[in-house]
Amino acid sequence: MIELEAIDKTYGGGDTATPVLKGVSFRIQAGEYVALMGASGTGKSTLMNIVGCLDKPTGGQFQLDGTDVVTMDDNAVSHLRNRKIGFVFQQFHLLERTTALKNVMLPLIYSEPYPGDAQRRAEKALAAVGLNDRMYYRPSELSGGQQQRVAIARALITDPQIILADEPTGNLDSTSGLEILAIFKRLHRDGRTIIVVTHDEEVAEHADRIILLTDGKIEQDRRVAQPRRAEKECTEHGEQETAE
Amino acid sequence: MRLSRIASEGIQSLKINKLRTFFMMAGTIVGIAALTIIMAIGKGTEKKVMKRVNNFGPKAVMLIAGGGKDLPPPDMTVTTLTLQDADAIRNQIDGLDIVSPMAWDFQVNVKREANQHQATVWGVEPTWHEAWNWYVVAGEGVSDQDVATMARVCIIGETVRRELFGQQSDPIGERLYINKVALTVKGVLKSRGTSAMGGDFDSRVVIPITTAMRRVMNVDHVGAIRLISKDASLIPQQAEAVRSLINKRHHITPPEEDDFRLVTPTVIAQIVKGSAGTLSILLIALAALSLFVGGVVMMNILLISVAERTKEIGLRRAVGATRGDVFAQFLTESLAVTIVGTILGSLLGLGVSTLLPRITQMPAIVTWEPFVLALAFALLVGTFFGVQPARRAARLHPVESLR
Repeated sequence: MIELEAIDKTYGGGDTATPVLKGVSFRIQAGEYVALMGASGTGKSTLMNIVGCLDKPTGGQFQLDGTDVVTMDDNAVSHLRNRKIGFVFQQFHLLERTTALKNVMLPLIYSEPYPGDAQRRAEKALAAVGLNDRMYYRPSELSGGQQQRVAIARALITDPQIILADEPTGNLDSTSGLEILAIFKRLHRDGRTIIVVTHDEEVAEHADRIILLTDGKIEQDRRVAQPRRAEKECTEHGEQETAE
Repeated sequence: MRLSRIASEGIQSLKINKLRTFFMMAGTIVGIAALTIIMAIGKGTEKKVMKRVNNFGPKAVMLIAGGGKDLPPPDMTVTTLTLQDADAIRNQIDGLDIVSPMAWDFQVNVKREANQHQATVWGVEPTWHEAWNWYVVAGEGVSDQDVATMARVCIIGETVRRELFGQQSDPIGERLYINKVALTVKGVLKSRGTSAMGGDFDSRVVIPITTAMRRVMNVDHVGAIRLISKDASLIPQQAEAVRSLINKRHHITPPEEDDFRLVTPTVIAQIVKGSAGTLSILLIALAALSLFVGGVVMMNILLISVAERTKEIGLRRAVGATRGDVFAQFLTESLAVTIVGTILGSLLGLGVSTLLPRITQMPAIVTWEPFVLALAFALLVGTFFGVQPARRAARLHPVESLR
């Protein structure tokens, strides 16, 4: 469970101090599918970095599964990220000149203990995102959607509870975007916590819950009555395109 | 092990960027190769010095007629050194085992019946055999009585024996002629082959010094006196005592120049070292410079690489790498580069050191020390120039580097 209590984040100090987050509080239960929405410059990336334990708030409480993250040292936070959080980025951030398989195995390098079946796990993760025939391809040989799926496989390799995705469809065409969202749906169904950061309402509506951020504060925190069904849309979209 | 997985990440990146890796390595290769070669030449020179000093005689001093600074070519034209000088040294200088004067003549015709041969003629005292550690293999050497009686006898070298007597078994008791003086062969010297300069040691006839001076050469002086000290450590002071004694006897007062030279093992060593010395200093400078430049180049390439790979570093941090992990990865790169560079440089140095004595006059001996030293150097350079980039990489903030 993710618990944020009165989180502040201010960049700089003195006269040039810029508050980006102003007393943000919310809880996300294990297994939720949440979209973190907001226009650019509203602090949603900053919030994502704090939730992803990449950055620390300047004020407030943040507990992950009951542990206080704010007071942890850098090493402990690194281990925490490795164990509990899988990141998916807008830019994919795959290592060039490195095969999909090696890219997926990357987080395991920093895992303790190192699993004896690392390669098999990576193969399984790639198969789970439908890339069993692309394991030895390099990022430059893959389409954007395929690269993002490699990135998702990489996020899954340490079997983390939370998947944290920052504009995961931002660099993709709509079909590939839907495919990615369909994978998130499936992961959500398997019991993982999915947090998608986006400015795009259509993407956000696939989630069960939308937290809307405006000017560093939560403006709205609502349940989605009828979350969109990525898998279904995906099929329809595909049929449509085939028809055309 | 975590560290080995991280190290292998560093090595992986070196493998991927082969050209970059080579540039990082080049300075180390050249520097270590130069270092290895310098040390091999140093060892070779040391051995050459030892050999020359041993050939000369570690306890020997040569007092040679004629002034000047360089090693003289043997020369009998200066007439100031005499048998009386030898007696004076014998009586007045302590701690000498042997004082053995010599007179000689080069390219003397030695005849026997129809055969003749050009040889060096040496007039010596009986102590000559011991002073040069050079004895007969047949017959007898020069005796006190030979010297006292100006005996018409000679001891011949192997070449002279071969040229004058052919395969005939025993020349002892046979007669040969030098400057129309008949001499009876008394012994045959052990063969010593050819000198470093290509001269034939065995093309010689050794005769009593009195016979040489009175009957063969008709001179009153000697060319040189060989001294053998009881103790090598006494040589410097003995040489000085001899210098002042001979100066006094020859009525020479400084700043007037000596009319003789004293050659000691130290002088021999300096002459041998001289040729290799200057080159060695040049190479040391080259080695130090290229190791330093190599280190700086490596550091800069690594710093550029850290800047280029900011996103990669950010990603690694996001998926769980600690600062220490990132530091270790980049330090591995610099250490691997210098260690592999050292191995390649050592091999290059080994190759050159092996070839050098074959194609030049330069002595070089390969030993294990330079390789240990080179490895220590490599670790030092790798660490010194690797820490800065690695630290910069480790300090990157994950959020900023992923942006």
